[in-house]
Amino acid sequence: MKKKRLIPILLLKNGWLVQSKQFSRFQNLGNPVTAVKRMSEWASDELVYLDISRDQTYDLRRNDLAYPNRHKIIDILEDVSKMALMPITVGGGIQTLSDIQIRLAKGADKISLNTKALQNPNFITKTAKEFGSQCIVISIDVKTIGGKAVVMNHFGQKATEYGPVEWAKKVEVLGAGEILLNSIDRDGMKTGYDLELIKSVTNAVKIPVIACGGAGEWNHFAQAFNETNVDAVAAANIFQHIDQSVYLAKKFLYEQGYPIRPADLLLMP
Amino acid sequence: MRYCKKCVYPEVAVNLYIDEEGICSGCRTAEKFDALTSGFWEQRKKRFEDIISSIKKTSHSNYDCIVPVSGGKDSYYQTHVVTSYGLKPLLVTYHGNNYLPEGDYNRDRMRQVFDADHIVFGPSVETLKRLNRLCFRKMGDMNWHNHCGLMTYPIQIAVKFNIPLIVWGEIAWDISGMYEPDDFVEFSNRIRHEHALRGFEWNDLINDPKENLSEKDLLWAKYPTDEEILKVGVRGIYIGNFFKWEPNKHTKLVQNKYAWKPRKDKFDRTYRTFSNVDDRYENGVHDYLKFIKFGYGRASDHASKDIRSGDMTREQGIEMVRKYDHMIPKDLYHWLDYVDMKESEFWKIANSFRNPLVWHKDKKGNWVKDNIWDNK
Amino acid sequence: MQNPFVCLLDYGSGNVKSVYNMISILTSNVKISNNPSDIKAASHLILPGVGAFATAMEKIHKSIPLKVLQAEVFEKKKPFLGICVGMQVLATVGLEFGKCSGLNWIPGQVDKLRSEDLPLPHIGWNNITFKKPSSVTKRFTPEPDFYFLHSYAYKLETVDPSYVIATAMYGEEFCAVIEKDNIFGVQFHPEKSQKAGKILLENFLSL
Repeated sequence: MKKKRLIPILLLKNGWLVQSKQFSRFQNLGNPVTAVKRMSEWASDELVYLDISRDQTYDLRRNDLAYPNRHKIIDILEDVSKMALMPITVGGGIQTLSDIQIRLAKGADKISLNTKALQNPNFITKTAKEFGSQCIVISIDVKTIGGKAVVMNHFGQKATEYGPVEWAKKVEVLGAGEILLNSIDRDGMKTGYDLELIKSVTNAVKIPVIACGGAGEWNHFAQAFNETNVDAVAAANIFQHIDQSVYLAKKFLYEQGYPIRPADLLLMP
Repeated sequence: MRYCKKCVYPEVAVNLYIDEEGICSGCRTAEKFDALTSGFWEQRKKRFEDIISSIKKTSHSNYDCIVPVSGGKDSYYQTHVVTSYGLKPLLVTYHGNNYLPEGDYNRDRMRQVFDADHIVFGPSVETLKRLNRLCFRKMGDMNWHNHCGLMTYPIQIAVKFNIPLIVWGEIAWDISGMYEPDDFVEFSNRIRHEHALRGFEWNDLINDPKENLSEKDLLWAKYPTDEEILKVGVRGIYIGNFFKWEPNKHTKLVQNKYAWKPRKDKFDRTYRTFSNVDDRYENGVHDYLKFIKFGYGRASDHASKDIRSGDMTREQGIEMVRKYDHMIPKDLYHWLDYVDMKESEFWKIANSFRNPLVWHKDKKGNWVKDNIWDNK
Repeated sequence: MQNPFVCLLDYGSGNVKSVYNMISILTSNVKISNNPSDIKAASHLILPGVGAFATAMEKIHKSIPLKVLQAEVFEKKKPFLGICVGMQVLATVGLEFGKCSGLNWIPGQVDKLRSEDLPLPHIGWNNITFKKPSSVTKRFTPEPDFYFLHSYAYKLETVDPSYVIATAMYGEEFCAVIEKDNIFGVQFHPEKSQKAGKILLENFLSL
C-alpha cells in the first residue's frame, strides 16, 4: 500500500539554514548539510530544499569550520545530495530549463517552481515535456487578505489575482506532478495546519498535495491526515527544534495507525 | 561593516542575522522574550511542573535528572531550580583543567550546599594539552575540548546510568537570537556539533602528525548514538524555556543563598565580573581569538546583552567595546606556558584565522578593521 | 564478492549520480562509464534510468556498446541490475507512445499501470510483497517499503512467474523485482530507499 509521507523542509537563505516565521522573520540556524545528515539519519521520507535567498550571496562568513563555506547554490546542492539517500526536491530561483537540468544532474529528483510558474504558466508544460511531470512540484504560497485566500508571489510579498483552488487546478492541467501548499499566515506559528485551505485544494485536484505551514506538534500531522486528503505533510522549523524529531514524529503517527513508514534510524558516515 | 542599530554586534557576529530594518536577530528575539506576559511564564512553569511530576513517577530508585554543571553562577541557579522542586539530581562536571581558584571553590562546594551527588570528570592533562594545541592550530580554538566535554560527557552519563532527563540552563544560542520563546527547543546534537564543535568530532582529531592522540584518549568525546539515546529516552531541556532567564538576578540569588564566589580580580577583556570563573581562558585568550577572527569580543557580547535588558545605553556599550574588545589578555602567557608554545608561533597561527571580511593590512603591515565607533 | 568493481552505465538517464552516491558508501570501486574496457573489467554492472521507455532505448542504442555488454552479461554471467526504466528496457516490448522493442533479456511487456482513479505517476513509498526467495532480497523485513516513481511497469501477467521475485500494488499488482539467472531488475529506486535500498545493493554487490 502506498504510504503517506512526512517531509522535512529545509530553508536556505544566503548559504544559511534558517527558520522562517510568516515569511518575514528569519533566524540563522547553521549549516544546511549537517541538517540534511540528521534528516537522513532519521529516515525522512523525502526532503524539500528551498532557497529563499533574495540575492545571490551565499556565505557562512567564516572559514574555521570543518565543513566548507560554499558560495554557490549548486555546490551546496552537491553536498546535500551526497548525504540524502532519499528523494530530494529543490526549489528557489529556477528560471530556465537549464537551471532545472543542472539541479537534476547534481542529484535533485524533483524541482519546485513558484514565481516562475506564476510569471509564465507555460513554463510548467515546457518542463513537463522535457523532464516529465513526475519531477515538477508547484509551490503555492497562500495568504489571507480581507478574508479571502490569495496566492502570493515573490517570497510571499506580492498578491496575484489567483485564489489557491483556481491556481492549483490550472497547474494540474499544465502538467504539474505535485503541489506544495504553504500557508504564509501559519508559517512558523505552531498553531496547526490551515485545514480548510488544504481541504479546498485536495478536493479540487487529483495530483498529490503536500501541506506545509503551522505544524507545532505531531498531532497536527495526524489532524491533516484525518481531515484532508493530503498525500504528504511537511514542516520546516519544528524538525529543527528537538533531537530525533523526525523519528519521534514518525513513531507517533505509525503507532497511532497512520499509513506511513515505521520510524527507523540510519547510520550516515 | 554593518552593525546592529540597537546593540553593538557586527554583521559577522557568529550566527547573527541582521534584518531589513538593521536590527539583529539577537535583539529581535530579546524583544520577543521581553513581550512575554506573566501569564505566559505561568503556563511554562506549569509545563515544567508536569515534566517534574512525570519524572518522579518513573525515576524511583535512580536519580531524577542530571544537571550538567561547571560550578559557575548558571550551574548554581540550575541546581537551585531543580532541587527546590524536590528532585535529587546527579551533578556532572567536565573538568577541562582551566579553573580559577574561585572556580574550584564554587565547583567543589556544590555537594555541600545542594543535596546532590556530584561526578567530576577530567581527561588526562597530557591529552588536554595536546587538544589545546591541536584545536588552536586546526580551528583557532584552544577551548574546543571544553565545549565538547561539557556537551558530551553528561549525555554519556545519562545513557550509562539510564537517566532520561538532563536540565540545561540558558537556551542555546540565545546570544544570536537563534530561537524564539515559541520554538521551545531542546538540546540537540546538531547544535552541539555545528556550533559548539564547529563540525569537528573526535575522529577528526586522531592521527594528527604533530599531536599524538588516539581513540582511547577521546572516549569522553564520543556522543552517544541516536539508538542509545532513544532507548533511554534522553532529552535535554533548557530552564530558560520555563523560567525567565535573568542572569543578573540569578547571580544575586546564588551569592546570597549559597555564598557563590565571583572572581576577585577583574577580567582583561570585559567589564562584567561574574562570568566564567570555571574557565580562565573563556573570557581571555579564547575570546581574544574571537576578536582576531571576527573583530569583536566578550565586551561586545556583554554590552549587547545589557543594552537589550535596558541596563546600558548603546553609547555606553560602544564605549565598552572600544575599551575592551582589542585587549590582549594576560592569560595568553599563562596558556603559552601551559601548552609550551612560543609566542611567535601563537601569533603566526592566530593571524592565519583573520577573517578577510573584517580585517585587512594597512600600508605599515598592521592589521586594521572598521570599528563601530567610526560608524556615526 | 570481496572487492567488487561496479560499472554504472550512463546513457543520459538522469539519476546516475544518486546511484553513484549510494554505491560509494558501500564501495569506493565504482565508476560511471560506458567504456567497453570498463564494462569488461567490471565485476558488477548497473543500468539506472528515469523517464520514458522509448527515449531510454534510443539513448541506450546510441551510447552503450550493447554487443560488449551482452557478452559480459550472457557469456561471462556478470551480475547485472536494471533500475526503474533500466529494468523496463529488459522487456520484450514497451507500450508507451506505441510499440517499442526492448532488450528482451527478461521476456515480458511493459505497459501503463491500470491505476483506476489513483493519480499517476505512482510516486512515493510503497511496500513490496515477496513471491520467491532471492539472493538480492535476503535480510529484508517482511514487507519492506521502497521509493517508486513511475507510470509504467512490467505487467505481471506477461512474465514467467519463475522470474518474479516480488510485486507491489498500485491499482494493480505489478512486478517490483524480477530475476533471471544473473540479471536483476527493480522497478523502485534503491538509491532513494535509504536502508532498504542499501541492503538490496549490498546483497547485489555480494554476488
